[in-house]
Amino acid sequence: MAKKITGPQILTANRLSDGMVVFLSADGTWRASIDAADVARTEDSASALEARAATFVQTNEIVDPYLIAVEETDTGAVPVAFRERRRIAGPSVQAAFNGQSNGSLAFAG
Amino acid sequence: MYRYDEFDTTFVRQRVDQFRDQVDRRVSGELTEEQFRPLRLMNGLYLQLHAYMLRVAVPYGTLNSRQMRKLAFIADEYDKGYGHFTTRQNIQYNWPKLPDVPNILDHLADVEMHAIQTSGNCIRNVTADQWAGAAGDEVEDPRPYAELMRQWSSLHPEFSFLPRKFKIAVTGAASDRAAIAYHDIGLRLTRSANGEIGFEVLAGGGMGRTPMLGVTVRDWLPKDELLAYLEAIMRVYNLHGRRDNKYKARIKILVHELGAEEFTRQVEEEYKRIDAPRVMPPAQELVRIKDYFAPPVYEDLPDQSPELARCMSDDADFAQWVDRNVVAHKQPGYAIVNISLKPVGGVPGDASSGQMRAVADLAEQKSHDEIRVTHEQNLVLPHVRKSDLYGVWQTLKTHGLADANIGLATDIISCPGLDYCALATARSIPISQDISRRLGDISRQRDIGDLKIKISGCINACGHHHAGHIGILGLEKRGEEYYQITLGGSGDETASIGEIIGPGFSSETVTDAVETIVDTYVGLRQDGETFLDAYRRLGPNPFKEAVYATH
Repeated sequence: MAKKITGPQILTANRLSDGMVVFLSADGTWRASIDAADVARTEDSASALEARAATFVQTNEIVDPYLIAVEETDTGAVPVAFRERRRIAGPSVQAAFNGQSNGSLAFAG
Repeated sequence: MYRYDEFDTTFVRQRVDQFRDQVDRRVSGELTEEQFRPLRLMNGLYLQLHAYMLRVAVPYGTLNSRQMRKLAFIADEYDKGYGHFTTRQNIQYNWPKLPDVPNILDHLADVEMHAIQTSGNCIRNVTADQWAGAAGDEVEDPRPYAELMRQWSSLHPEFSFLPRKFKIAVTGAASDRAAIAYHDIGLRLTRSANGEIGFEVLAGGGMGRTPMLGVTVRDWLPKDELLAYLEAIMRVYNLHGRRDNKYKARIKILVHELGAEEFTRQVEEEYKRIDAPRVMPPAQELVRIKDYFAPPVYEDLPDQSPELARCMSDDADFAQWVDRNVVAHKQPGYAIVNISLKPVGGVPGDASSGQMRAVADLAEQKSHDEIRVTHEQNLVLPHVRKSDLYGVWQTLKTHGLADANIGLATDIISCPGLDYCALATARSIPISQDISRRLGDISRQRDIGDLKIKISGCINACGHHHAGHIGILGLEKRGEEYYQITLGGSGDETASIGEIIGPGFSSETVTDAVETIVDTYVGLRQDGETFLDAYRRLGPNPFKEAVYATH
């Protein structure tokens, strides 16, 4: 049965080895950047993303994959949910310690 | 300090080997994530928003220099050079890699530490007064009993799958620095009418979405009945706790639903059925444990130190630090040094590996090799000679650890919030930083006086906002963070739950609201009246009027 969606979706997960946030890209690899994420615009393509992700769960590359709703903007896909925007941006504090931080010290994103 | 016996050593090493095998099987695919998740949680390993997080137990908040150096080593070798001290006196690493975790646990085992029971529905790390064994107002050192409870609760077969997590705190002083009323079980060593020392036993306290203060189920319990009585409480909870609903599964809900009287009756009934001598260890075992907590060999010193007085008179910054961060020790000539992990604009509770090593060196050289972690996310050197204070302060200053703000407005408790935590609904650290910068001027802080600001990034209340004189709860509404303010909470011996003052504030306006509340207090206080006392006298209205008139 096709996945019910309310708008464009991308597929995210955490990498098994270090927990890093990753996105399923069109070329079938998992990337740390959302920019290359494969966007599903139909229910069938969203289901296909989930099916592809499931194979990577089987091969122990990622954990907890799930679809997130995005808005497609001129600069790329932006998650609709606040939590997902924060999750992608990385901690907004302690830039000096944190490789994933966007470098802002407060209230970025 | 307590040292592992042969049993402890073997058991912790076996757990490391077991977890190494489990990680190998997870990486190879032999274990699915569903199978692995409960195993990693039993070893303190969470998967958070951006990475794994390892929570390491610091039993009753006590460390020696060797252990602290090992924590620094782990921060450098396996993380990003820092650690986060938590409101449960533990330390968390935010960036470990899964294949490295067994090695980290091996290193911890080298210094008699582990991450067992820092997660899951079991009895968690027992917390204690951070000044235990040093405070002048102490009836008895609570740490031997905390250690006894650690041994009793570690992998206790009957209490490893409770309805929900279970937290015990213990103090030996009348001034409650362990927030015992906010714990599932709170214990206070106290004297009976005839002068005998025993425990006052509280049960049913907790924070989270339904904050409650514990009720006294026993005014006075003989010390040698402690474990047997705890077993009675645990059994009543284990049997009747709400396993059907995660949000009602803590003991506080059971105590509330049964009523304090009926809950107490059931505990006493159960207690009669328990074979107490079987549960309690032999008397010589408690003596053995107590020996590890014998006071250090103090020098015979006069209580006044002319050197300290001279340094305070010559250096105003040092005098301010002594005034806020140094408290009386029970031994003449000695003092308790509180080290702030709350630099203005910093991340509450974070310490770099360099800072950890500096504290370890100071502990080894100046504090009988002892360090404490506080539930307010600071550190303590419990046994420092007064004549050494100036040198200790200078060293702390070199390492960015000499903020003279203990108990002041910038000594803020903050959970990791949505910067790290998968459960959070809003960020809490940036709010604490913003408030800290706003109120950071030390003269202003000193004028404001004692003030506990506590921030949680979700309803689970890890930032203890319910117990904050000013509490802040971060939530999310329609894609925006907003912050609810509570006033009048306290975690001390006059414990109270903060009251919500009204609609929440945006991330841009919450600091303004806090500042208005503080200014309102300054305008209305009577001579010598603290914020909490003023709030209790005035009630919420003047604060509400000021905040909602201007925001």
